Amino acid sequence: MSVIDSPQDIAREVETPPGLLRRLVRQRQAKIGIALTGVVVLLAVLGPLLLPWATGYTSTQFAGRPFQADGLFGTDNLGRDVLSRFLDGGLRLLIYAALATLLGMVLGGLTGMVAAYQGGWVDSIIMRANDVMLALPQLVFALLAITVLGPQGWVLVVVIGITHAPRIARVTRSATVEVITEDFIRAAEMYAVPKWKILVKDVLPNITGPLMVELGLRMTYSIGAVASLSFLGLGMQPPTADWGLMINENRIALVVQPWGVILPVLAIAVLTVGTNLITDSLARASANVNVGATK
Amino acid sequence: MPIILRRLATSVLILLAVSVLVFVATLLLPGDPAQAILGQQATPERLAALREQMNLNDPVLQRYFSWLGGLFVGDLGISAASGGPVSALLGERIGASLVLLVAASLISLPVGFLVGTYSALRRGRTGDHVTTGVSLVLAALPEFVIGIALITLFSTTVFPILPSVTMAPPGEAVWNYPLQLVLPTLTLVLVVTPYITRMMRATMLEVLDSGYVEMARLKGVPERQVILRHALPHALSPVAQVVAIQLAWMAGGVVVVEFLFRYPGIGQALVDAVANRDVQVVQALSILIAAVYIMVNLLADMVGILTNPKLRTGGTR
Amino acid sequence: MEPATSSRQRLPDTSALQLTRRRLLGTGLALGLGGFLAACSGGQPNVLASPEGPPQSGGTLRVGLSGGGAADSLDAHSPVSTTDIARVVNLYESLLYRDENYELQPLLAVSATPSDDALVWTVDLRKGVTFHDGRPLTGRDVAATFKRITDPDDPKTGASSLSVLDEVAVINDHRVEFRLNTAAATFDDSLGQYALGIVPEDYDPATPVGTGPFKYQSFTPGRSSLFVRNENYWRDNEPYLDELAILNFDDDDALINALLSTQVDAVGQIPLALLEVIDADPRISILNSETGMWMPFTMRVDKPPFDDNRVRQAFRLAVDREQMIEQVLSGNGSIGNDLYSPFDPGYASKLPQRVQDIARAKELLAEAGYPDGLSVELVTAPIQAGAVEAAQVFAQQAAAAGINVKIRRVDTTTFFGDGYLQWDFAQDFWYTRNFLPQVNNSSLPTAPYNETHWDHPEFNELVAQAKGTLDPDKRNELIAAAQEIEYNEGGYIIWGHPNQADAYQQYVAGLVPNRTGLALSGFEFRRVWLGGDLS
Repeated sequence: MSVIDSPQDIAREVETPPGLLRRLVRQRQAKIGIALTGVVVLLAVLGPLLLPWATGYTSTQFAGRPFQADGLFGTDNLGRDVLSRFLDGGLRLLIYAALATLLGMVLGGLTGMVAAYQGGWVDSIIMRANDVMLALPQLVFALLAITVLGPQGWVLVVVIGITHAPRIARVTRSATVEVITEDFIRAAEMYAVPKWKILVKDVLPNITGPLMVELGLRMTYSIGAVASLSFLGLGMQPPTADWGLMINENRIALVVQPWGVILPVLAIAVLTVGTNLITDSLARASANVNVGATK
Repeated sequence: MPIILRRLATSVLILLAVSVLVFVATLLLPGDPAQAILGQQATPERLAALREQMNLNDPVLQRYFSWLGGLFVGDLGISAASGGPVSALLGERIGASLVLLVAASLISLPVGFLVGTYSALRRGRTGDHVTTGVSLVLAALPEFVIGIALITLFSTTVFPILPSVTMAPPGEAVWNYPLQLVLPTLTLVLVVTPYITRMMRATMLEVLDSGYVEMARLKGVPERQVILRHALPHALSPVAQVVAIQLAWMAGGVVVVEFLFRYPGIGQALVDAVANRDVQVVQALSILIAAVYIMVNLLADMVGILTNPKLRTGGTR
Repeated sequence: MEPATSSRQRLPDTSALQLTRRRLLGTGLALGLGGFLAACSGGQPNVLASPEGPPQSGGTLRVGLSGGGAADSLDAHSPVSTTDIARVVNLYESLLYRDENYELQPLLAVSATPSDDALVWTVDLRKGVTFHDGRPLTGRDVAATFKRITDPDDPKTGASSLSVLDEVAVINDHRVEFRLNTAAATFDDSLGQYALGIVPEDYDPATPVGTGPFKYQSFTPGRSSLFVRNENYWRDNEPYLDELAILNFDDDDALINALLSTQVDAVGQIPLALLEVIDADPRISILNSETGMWMPFTMRVDKPPFDDNRVRQAFRLAVDREQMIEQVLSGNGSIGNDLYSPFDPGYASKLPQRVQDIARAKELLAEAGYPDGLSVELVTAPIQAGAVEAAQVFAQQAAAAGINVKIRRVDTTTFFGDGYLQWDFAQDFWYTRNFLPQVNNSSLPTAPYNETHWDHPEFNELVAQAKGTLDPDKRNELIAAAQEIEYNEGGYIIWGHPNQADAYQQYVAGLVPNRTGLALSGFEFRRVWLGGDLS
C-alpha cells in the first residue's frame, strides 16, 4: 500500500477537451492495459457462473486431501479444488477494491472541492485534517481499525476508502483552485446559482481529467491494499473464496503446492499492471491533447 | 524565515493530533490488555493488580497526558508483554529496520537516478521503452507479490541459494548475517526504485527541454557536461519530494516485507503488539512512524523552499 | 495474521493415572524412512533417523518453533507458549514426568508412594543430583519450589492442580512428604507436570538455575535462546549436544522455509497438510506421533439452543469424523468419540463409535422444535493449527442436516478475552491428559475452564468417588461410567485426536514419537545427537 502520488502529478490540467477516452484508447499502452484488466475482470465475473460446470466442484466442496496434485491446479489447505476457489474468488476482491476506491473518490473529491471553493478557514481546517490523516501511518490505521471492528468486507472498504481520501482531496483541491478563477464560474456566481450546483455543474466537469487519473491510481492501490490486508490475515471471513484469503491460506505450501498462491498472485499482478497501464495512458491523454495522434 | 517556522509549528500540531487519534484507537481495541498479558492463567487478583500497575483504572484524559508527557522525556512506558521499558524493547528493532531501510535506499536511489536519466536521454528508443515498461509493471505490483516471487525464485525452487527468513542468534545483530538481508532488501528496492526512476525520467525530460539546456548546447558545451553540470542538478530537487515520500512510506510500509521475511524490525513488532494488545508499543510505534513521515516531508518542503525562490514567499503547495 | 497463535494454548500437563495398558502406535502412519518400533517397556527407544551406531557427542542443535513472543520467559513455573515449554523442559526437571508412551516415570524422584488413606504421599529423591551452580539437590529445595508455585499471592501455572496440597514436609535431604487436605489417589500424576521443575531455595528467574541437561547461556524473549551442555548432568553420557539453540518463529511458512534451507535442524509442529510433501524431501525426516490431543467444538449446555440435549446430539451426529480427519488433518489423526483422555486406562472404549447420521440428526432437531433446521454462530480463532479449518469443514457438513453455521473468526487475543468461556458455540484445544486431571480443568462446576458449563450431579459424584479410590480397577470402572454420561449428554463435539508431526534434518538422531502432544519428543533434547560430519 504505497502512498505515491507521482508520476501522475504531472497531469493536473484544467482544460479537458472532449475525447479524453478516445485519446486514451488510441495509445498502444492503454490497449494492453485494457486487455490485461479485461481478462482478469472477465475471469472474476464469469468464474462464479462457470462453477461447478467447469471444475466439477463448488468453491467450498472437498476434492481430496489438502495440498494434493488432484485436478488441474491441485487442492488447497482444506482439500478444496484450487481452480474452483480461484474462479469464485476474484469478484469479491474487485468489488471491494472498487467500492473502496469509490468511497475514497467521493470523500476526497467532495472535501477537496469544498476546500478549494470555500477557501479561508474551511480550507485550512480541511487541509490540516488531511495532513493529520496523511501522517497517520496507513497500515497502523488499517491494523487498528480491523482489530477493533473485526475482519469484514465493509470494514476493509471503509478503511481503504478513508486512507485514500486525503490524497484524492489534495489533487481535487489543486485542480479546483485553478478552475474556480475562470470567468464562467464568476459568471455563475453573479447569477446567484447555488454553490452546490456550481460545484456539480461547472467545476466537476472541468476537473474530470485529473480525477480520472486519480481514480485509476487509487483503483490500483485498492486492489493491492485489499490483497495485502488479506495476506496479513486481516481480510475476509472464511470459508469465503477470495484471492487475498487464498494467498494467506495456502502460503505455507508455497514450496510444495504453489498453485494456490501463484494463481491469485498472478491474477492480482496482471490486474494491477493492467489498471496501472491504463492510468498511465490516462494521465498522458489528460495532459496532452495530441496524445495518440501520431500513433 | 517565517514560512519555515510556520511549517514547523504545523508539523508539531499535526503530530499532536495524530497522538490523540492513536491514543483513542488503542483505547478501542477489544480485549483487556491485562488479560492479554496474563492469558488464561490469570486470577482475578493478579488481573486487578496488573490493571492498577498499568494505570488502567485512571481517567482517560489523565492517562493520555501522562503518556504524552512521557513521550517528551523519552519514557515510552512499560511494554505490557515483556514487562520491560518500551524504549529498550524497540531500540534493537528500530536499528534492524534502519539497516534495511538504509540498505534499500542506498541501492534504489542511485539506481533510480541512473536508470531514470538513461531512460530520459534515450527518449522514445528501445532502452527507454524497456525501462519505462519494467518500472510501470513493478510499480503496479503489491510488495508481497514481489516478495513471494523472489522467495520462489531464489530461496526455494529455482535457485535455492538465499535464505528466506532472517534469524540471528540472541545478542547478535542482523547485519552480521548479510546474506539474510539480501531478499528483504531486494524486495524493498524493487518496490521503491520504479517510482524514483519514473520521477527522475519525467523531471529529466522537462529539464532537457528547458531553455538553459538548449542554450548550453547551442554554446557548444559537450553533451556529457550539459547533462552532468546543467541538467542533473536541476532535476534533483523536484525528485527530492518523491524520494522523501518513498522514505516515509518505507518507514511505515516495511510491515508486509518484515512479516514475510520474519525480519525483526518495527513492522513485525507492530503486528505483534496489536495482536498482544501491547498498547504502549502500538502507541510508541505509531507515533514514531508518524513523526518520521512528518519530519521527512518537512525536510522535503524545506529543500523545495530553499531551492525555489518563488516558493519562499508562500503560496499553494 | 495472528503471530501469537500458540501463546495461549492449553498447557499440556502430564498428570494422569498410571497406564496399565500400553498402546502401540498405529502402524499405518506415514513415516520417513523405514518403519519404527514403538518404545518397549524399559528399553532404550528405537531411533528412526538415518545416523547409525552409538551416539556421537558435540555440535549445536538449532530448533525452530512457532509461537511465543515478547512475553516469553524462562521462569520454571510459568511457561505459557510452546517455546517457553521447550526451554523450561531442558533447563529444569520435575519429580516425575510423562515419557513418550504417556507413562508416568520417575525423574528427580525415585519413588512416590501414597499412604493407605491417600492423604500423604512420600517422595524419595534421586541422590547425586546437582544444580547448574554446583549445589546438591535437597528436600528443602523441593519444599521451597512447591511453596513458590502455590504462593497464594502469585500462584503459578501448576497451582490449579495442586489445590489439594496443604504442605510439603522435609523429612531429610532425600525425602519429602506431600500432605494433602483431600484424598487424592492419583496425586503422583499432578507431580508429573513439566511446569513443576525443581529449583534451588533461593531461585530467581533472572538466573535460571535448575538440574536439567542444559544450562542457560543467553535469551532474548520472542527471538531465541542459547543453552549449553550441563557437564554434571546426572544421567550417564547425556546430553550429547554441546549447545541447544531454540528459535521463535511467527508463522509456519517461515518455519518450513528455514527447515528446507537448513537454517534450523529441527522444527516442532509442522502443519499436517504439509506432512506428506515435506516427507518427500530426502533430506528431511518426519516424526509423526499419535497423541491424545483434542480440538473440540464447545456447546454451552445452559444456553439455547444447546440446553436441549437433542440439539447437542444432533450436532454430534452431523459430523463426518472421517472427513474431518481427512480435510483438517490430512488423515493424520485418530477418530474421536466425543470423549477425551483416550490413553486413560479407564477410557470407555466399549461405547460404540459415533458416526454421521444426517437423517437422525434432522429427526432430533425436529423433535427439539427445529423442523426447518437452525442457524448458529460458531466463534473460531487460530488458537491452534487446524482450528479455523475444522470450523469450515464443520460448517460444510452441518449444512446437510439443515444447520446453518455462520463462522465468526476473531483473533486469538479476542478469543481468549472477555468472551472466553462465555461463547455459546466455539472451539478449544487441549493437550493429552488423563481423565481425572482433565475433568478438574474442564468438566466440573469448579473447573477453571468449564467452557461447556457442564454441571451434572451424577457425573460429579462419580468423579469424586474415583478421586478417592486407590484400587485401579474400581477407579477405572467409575471413570468409564462418568464418560458414558458425557457420551450421551455432554457439550463437547470431539471429532478426533490430531497427530503431532515434527520435521528434522536427516543427520539429527535420537528423536522418538511422543504421545504427550509436546513437539519433538516432548522436547527431550538430552537424547538428541547429530550424525555425520560435525565440522
